[in-house]
Amino acid sequence: MSLLHLDKATIKFGGLIAVNEVSFEIKPGQLFGLIGPNGAGKTTCFNLITGVYKPTSGSIKFEGREISGTPSNKIAHLGIARTFQNIRLFGALSVLENVVVGGFLRHHTGLGSAIAYLPPAIKETDELKQEAMRLLEVVDLAHVANVRSRDLSYGMQRRLEIARAMATQPKLLLLDEPAAGMNPQEKMDLTGTVRRIRDEHDKTVLLIEHDMRFVMELCENIVVLDHGEEIAQGPPSEIRNDPKVIEAYLGEAV
Amino acid sequence: MKFFAVRAGSIALAVAACFALQSFAIGKGDLVFRLVFLAGLYVTLAVSLNLINGITGQFSIGHAAFYMVGAYGAGYTANNYAGSWGLKGPLLMLVLLLIGAVVAAVAGLVVGLPSLRLRGDYLAVVTLGFGEIIRIFVQNSPPLGGAYGLTVDAQFKFKYVWMVWLLAILCIAVCRNLLKTAHGLPFLAVREDEIASSAMGVNVTRVKVTAFVIGSAFAGAAGAMLANFDGFISPTSFPMELSFTILTMVVLGGTGSITGSALAGGVLFYIPEYLRDLKPVSGSSLVAAVIAVIAAVYVVKRIADHYHGDKGKRAALYLGTIIAGVVLQIILAAVFKNVPSLANANFEASKLRMVIFSSTLIILMLLRPQGVFAHHEFSWSWIQRLLGKKVPTTAVSV
Amino acid sequence: MDLGVSLWAAFELSTLPQQVVNGLLLGAIYALIALGYTMVYGVLRLINFAHGEVFMLGAYTALFASWFLGYGKGSSLETSGPLNLMILLIASMCVCGIVGVAIERFAYRPMRSQPRIAALITAIGVSLLIQYGGALVLPIAPPPSINEKVNPYRGVVTMNLVGGDPQLLEGYEKAKIEFETTEKAWTEARASKQPDDVVRALRDKKNDADRTMGDLQRRMDNSGVKIRIPQGQLIMFGTTIVLMIMLTYLVMFTAVGRAMRAVSHDFDSASLMGINVGKIVTITFLIGSMLAGAGAMMNATFLGTPLTTFFGVMPGVKAFVAAVLGGIGNIPGAVLGGFLMGIAETAVIWAGYGQYKDAIAFIVLIVVLLFRPGGLLGSAKVEKV
Ligand SMILES: Nc1ncnc2c1ncn2[C@@H]1O[C@H](COP(=O)(O)OP(=O)(O)O)[C@@H](O)[C@H]1O
Ligand SMILES: [Mg+2]
Repeated sequence: MSLLHLDKATIKFGGLIAVNEVSFEIKPGQLFGLIGPNGAGKTTCFNLITGVYKPTSGSIKFEGREISGTPSNKIAHLGIARTFQNIRLFGALSVLENVVVGGFLRHHTGLGSAIAYLPPAIKETDELKQEAMRLLEVVDLAHVANVRSRDLSYGMQRRLEIARAMATQPKLLLLDEPAAGMNPQEKMDLTGTVRRIRDEHDKTVLLIEHDMRFVMELCENIVVLDHGEEIAQGPPSEIRNDPKVIEAYLGEAV
Repeated sequence: MKFFAVRAGSIALAVAACFALQSFAIGKGDLVFRLVFLAGLYVTLAVSLNLINGITGQFSIGHAAFYMVGAYGAGYTANNYAGSWGLKGPLLMLVLLLIGAVVAAVAGLVVGLPSLRLRGDYLAVVTLGFGEIIRIFVQNSPPLGGAYGLTVDAQFKFKYVWMVWLLAILCIAVCRNLLKTAHGLPFLAVREDEIASSAMGVNVTRVKVTAFVIGSAFAGAAGAMLANFDGFISPTSFPMELSFTILTMVVLGGTGSITGSALAGGVLFYIPEYLRDLKPVSGSSLVAAVIAVIAAVYVVKRIADHYHGDKGKRAALYLGTIIAGVVLQIILAAVFKNVPSLANANFEASKLRMVIFSSTLIILMLLRPQGVFAHHEFSWSWIQRLLGKKVPTTAVSV
Repeated sequence: MDLGVSLWAAFELSTLPQQVVNGLLLGAIYALIALGYTMVYGVLRLINFAHGEVFMLGAYTALFASWFLGYGKGSSLETSGPLNLMILLIASMCVCGIVGVAIERFAYRPMRSQPRIAALITAIGVSLLIQYGGALVLPIAPPPSINEKVNPYRGVVTMNLVGGDPQLLEGYEKAKIEFETTEKAWTEARASKQPDDVVRALRDKKNDADRTMGDLQRRMDNSGVKIRIPQGQLIMFGTTIVLMIMLTYLVMFTAVGRAMRAVSHDFDSASLMGINVGKIVTITFLIGSMLAGAGAMMNATFLGTPLTTFFGVMPGVKAFVAAVLGGIGNIPGAVLGGFLMGIAETAVIWAGYGQYKDAIAFIVLIVVLLFRPGGLLGSAKVEKV
């Protein structure tokens, strides 16, 4: 059974059809790529999947369950987490706190316990912090755990976005241009991190990326969007030679 | 076990301190007694608004409305129902306080729920408008005394300074505990970025409403205390400026900082009260002061913007500027004494108080817009760092 | 409030046009002030709380200008002419323009890189400072008002939209004659000491005639529809419309206007595109404040409102609400919001709930925002993620 299934998902903003009848299926454990030129509708696809926007038509199923129109926070609870292309960290909070927010959706103590500062809430807070620390080690940010997140370098912020999303313990992780703005060395490291997330942490990953080499190397299956339309789908070897894709990326070596 | 011993101990300590404060204040005459009472009220108001505004980032500028709702809720209940309850003293006051809190919490829910679709400035206007609507309706409601105000029966007048301070401490404790545990993080996260919070599974609606409800409940409880302390409330006791004053306390203290709000609440309300009984100021010294303040602020601002040398030297420069300002004022005042139209004009201090209040506000915003405490909280390690000691920051809690 | 009376008032439909006109007249002033709020918000995303105080200072400027022209309290001068009104108007607009620009330069500009809440607190501070600082130096007790002789247009324009019912008029004339004759007969009878019962009968007859006449008169008034507008208010309305047209022209068809719209659309990009953002902000404050000055001068002169330094608070708050109602940052929205606010307020007074007239502004606002969170003409911006 597929983990995520988009079936003719469509959204219009006024006259603009940002995503037009896009369909694809992701199987558990896959490393799936979503590519396309700027403005193709990739981020909008993420927004549809995570409930930021409601599709105009079409369906989005997660583990066989219709999720289009479900609010973002419920979708996070169902097991989909994401990062943002234009980084959206909680700037004034520390790196550690950012990750704890991600983990908080699994809390089980009540607000009353926190307000009265009772042992259950204190204990839970400690556990969440420890868990967050472990995730920070995965993305190599443990040494800056108490730095305000807005003071981090760009590359570190991107990694923190990943750690924060991982903290929700999702089944499906959506990464929106995780390598944007990184230098080649950082990109190499990131490739390793993403692989590890999939292999060791048992996640399914859907990622948007601009850097072709990065995607081709990492992903096992790729969907290509252009002007909101799905123009190709398949393993990297096929995508590389698809004339439509070459045309969409006019001139770029694919 | 140790945990509960410490907890019980600190509660006992807080209660004892509040009673000590009461017996201290009671010996100092009616005026001081009332000031101590009001200080407690304003701490509660500022800290509770800080929860909505500073911590959760919901731009509410109508906090006085919840205060008013609580005051009228408690006053009306006391007059019309409390006689038959057979309760007396602190217990009765406690029940009235809870009534004030509940009524205001309901009002907070009513404002909070529909306002959730609104952001920033729009929310601000709605909260402001809510305050005005409430005030005008009370003004036209005969059972609530209309424009003349509501006199609370003498038997329900309680001069409990200790209780208002316990309320303030409770309010501070609630906010602090919230931020000490992971439960506080969704509140801060909503302030920082709603969309990202939502993507992390935070129920943004619930967080905002919770902040509104808790914040207004405390304001309502403070209102109940006021109604039963003074024994009289009227719509003019809760003007729009009061909301602005409370907001100012939060911002001046440092948005989001509980310590800042509490201190600003306790101190700022007192400035106008203090200025009330200052002796009249002559036109010459007033004009001199205005010029000196403007000059000093200008210089301080330039130092702050352009001098990036070491902290000690900068502090010395600030101090020098302030002294120079004072000297300038004295010299100018002496010069202006020779201008008859200035020297003969007298300004009563009571008329100057709002002028001084508002100028202080502007100057502080110009010089330190992040508020006095910025986002810091009082803690021993913070004090040590401030004094230049190297304290490992990794110990800072969530 | 007696419900019966208020309902009766509410159903007095023949006064509807008059009420609509009253609402529009009031709304025009709100709209004029609202423009200042909305323009500033458009470029800076700042609620300029001090705008109401600029309005207040404009009214005082008009007062001082009138004193300067010799129209003090016990002035023996004749009624003035349009030239004096122009002088007052220009004085108010200039002073307000300067004050507005100064506030921006010294209070808001240093806050531009700060969080918006800090700028807002500064705005509140400036507003309070002008209110209370002004009270130290401006005449406030007793509240002065502009000598009515300054305003040469004190007449009332009456327009008959629909004449009275001719049949009623005929009946009324008949009743009037009947009343006059019976009254005369009764007076004579009393004077000539006729028997009591005769006098009493004549008196009853006279009273009946009187009642019929009164009844017919009221029915006649209700059957006709007229509008009465004080000339001054008509001028005020006309001037407001002219100013709005000028503003529209400026914003839509000039280089400055284009730059303003660009800054309003995206502050940072506009400055990257080589627009002198500082200058545009200054111009925005200048224009917005001058409009407030015009409104203030007309308000103080034509309505003769007594002035205190709190004179600007209520109009300011309501105009601000009007701006939000229309969609803050949106110029036509401010005008629409202003007019709606004026009409809503008049309607409440008309229905007999005058004491709630200050609340209605906010009630309308909250209701509108619940359905259109961005205001009537504003779009609630969906954040791009
Ligand atoms: N909230 C929105 N309102 C209007 N247009 C939008 C919105 N979000 C995205 N778009 C438009 O949809 C198109 C696709 O955008 P996006 O998904 O961000 O592209 P990309 O593939 O580069 O991530 C763009 O033309 C963008 O301007
Ligand atoms: Mg994108």
